[in-house]
Amino acid sequence: MLKLMKYEFRKTWITKLILLGVTAVAEIAFLIGLYVERETTLGLSVMLLMFLALGGILMIGLYSVMTLHRDMNTKQSYMLFMTPNSRYSILGAKVLECGLSILIGGAFYFALGTLDLTLLFAKSGELNRLWSAIQDFLSHLTFANHQLLIDMEGMAAFVFCLLAGWILTVITAYFAVVISAALLNGKRFNGLLSFVLFLALSWFVGWVARTVTASIPSINTLLLVDGAISLAFTAVMYMITAIIMERKLSV
Amino acid sequence: MQFNPSLPIWMQVLEALEIDIVTGKRQPGEKLPGGRELALQFSINPNTAARVYQELEKKGLCATRRGMGTYVTEDTARIFALREEIAGQAVCQFLDTMELLGISRHEAAQWLLKKED
Amino acid sequence: MLESKEITKIFGTKAAVDHISLRLEKGHVYAMLGPNGSGKTTWMKMAAGLIKPTSGQMLFEDKPVDIDSRRKIAYMSTESFFYTWMTVKDVGAYYADFFDDFSWDGYRAMLRQMELEESMKTKALSSGMMAKLKIAVTMARDAKVYMLDEPFNGIDLLARDNIRRCILEHADENKVLLLSSHLVEEMEAIADKAVFIRQGKLAEVDDLEEMRVDRGASMADRYREIYGHTEE
Repeated sequence: MLKLMKYEFRKTWITKLILLGVTAVAEIAFLIGLYVERETTLGLSVMLLMFLALGGILMIGLYSVMTLHRDMNTKQSYMLFMTPNSRYSILGAKVLECGLSILIGGAFYFALGTLDLTLLFAKSGELNRLWSAIQDFLSHLTFANHQLLIDMEGMAAFVFCLLAGWILTVITAYFAVVISAALLNGKRFNGLLSFVLFLALSWFVGWVARTVTASIPSINTLLLVDGAISLAFTAVMYMITAIIMERKLSV
Repeated sequence: MQFNPSLPIWMQVLEALEIDIVTGKRQPGEKLPGGRELALQFSINPNTAARVYQELEKKGLCATRRGMGTYVTEDTARIFALREEIAGQAVCQFLDTMELLGISRHEAAQWLLKKED
Repeated sequence: MLESKEITKIFGTKAAVDHISLRLEKGHVYAMLGPNGSGKTTWMKMAAGLIKPTSGQMLFEDKPVDIDSRRKIAYMSTESFFYTWMTVKDVGAYYADFFDDFSWDGYRAMLRQMELEESMKTKALSSGMMAKLKIAVTMARDAKVYMLDEPFNGIDLLARDNIRRCILEHADENKVLLLSSHLVEEMEAIADKAVFIRQGKLAEVDDLEEMRVDRGASMADRYREIYGHTEE
């Protein structure tokens, strides 16, 4: 399993390295902007960092779906499927590698964001305008009609909930890709059907999560429960997908 | 070695070994390559190689000593007989061709002598 | 050792493999023959566990093929299938990671024989070099069954001797070798059994030396007899 994960990481690490490199450049720009007091540089770098955090996490997920697609629909599929590993392990390694990457990536950007905000806050005397703009932005964030709490815990819970939701979305996409390769292969409207399936499933799990969390009054609890539901659905989706792979997939 | 794929490969390898034995390229009592080694030397299937030794042994041209390998027979009379056998076959083949061309045995002998120069 | 029972694979509406029952016994080198699309590759891929049969069974040592059979069956596909980021060394490391029977020494020896360097990128290999690499890494395993799909494709005349030698080195009384190739003459001397497949069905299995004795026919002669009138 670890060996499978190693190769899953090997397939995606260049993307991650590039992301890390661009983030480092943006962070340096941020620090320069902050300490040399160039507001334009600072503003741009803050926007770039926020874009990278969101875009990067999105990209990790999308890239892993693309990798799965390639690993089932090209000759490279033999590399995985000829090895003495069950399809549960093969898919499991992918889910774990991608899930961990998203969580670690999310934690990394969260930590970086916290650090940068702390630095910004320390200098907020001079850069009042930017600081209040960020506070203003954060105060507009809501989740399921609840106002988010602008503190460490509130933000952490929010980020966890987002990441878990994104992991579930990625696994739902895995499911659709596997259905497309294993069951609909060669049939008409294969791509469209699996995309519709993906949307329907996403809507369904969203609906379940909303229904379950509707009566939770505390926003932080709500976020955590919502995240936990996402991860639970991820596990279920993984099992179903793996069973289909094991029984039906020909590469 | 190039084989004629329409004839049994073991026969062709057998003939090659027989020539080696009668010409002394493989001496009486000399150790022959093992079955696997023979297969690799001739690029043939190992079962075919095993068959070659079976036939060679059946003809009394080699002996297998348990756990030691296969050796060319030390019976020189047998080797001499093989030499005659092969020569006889060559003559037969020659005469068959001549007969096909309508050349009598007497004439064929003349041909042979003429060829000397 | 490796046996298919009434195995069938249908793609869409076409039966690529149609109720083939075939038993491969240890100690033999089988040449699998048939025109393109006759089902050889599909049969092998089912034995390798890559393709799931529509019906019927594929058994290795009397058990359905599964994770355990993949430990003991080495399969080489016609197409190149290595990840594009891999070097020749990475390919070896991958096999070493997943197959306990992989030998680095054997791999390196074959690379030398085939004039491949460990530092070469697979992406940059010519088709001939790629074909050699596939053979080297597959034969570096000490498997019970080797299935080589078109091992001579893309390989020049001189290097074919190398490949034949490499295949023969692995043939022994406990193993099964299964080769498919369009270059029938390359297999005449190294195979001892021929499996003819026609339009997804098993046409016949012959013992080659018997066929030469009984009918004075080579594998290529028989090939012409079987397929000559029907297709291609």
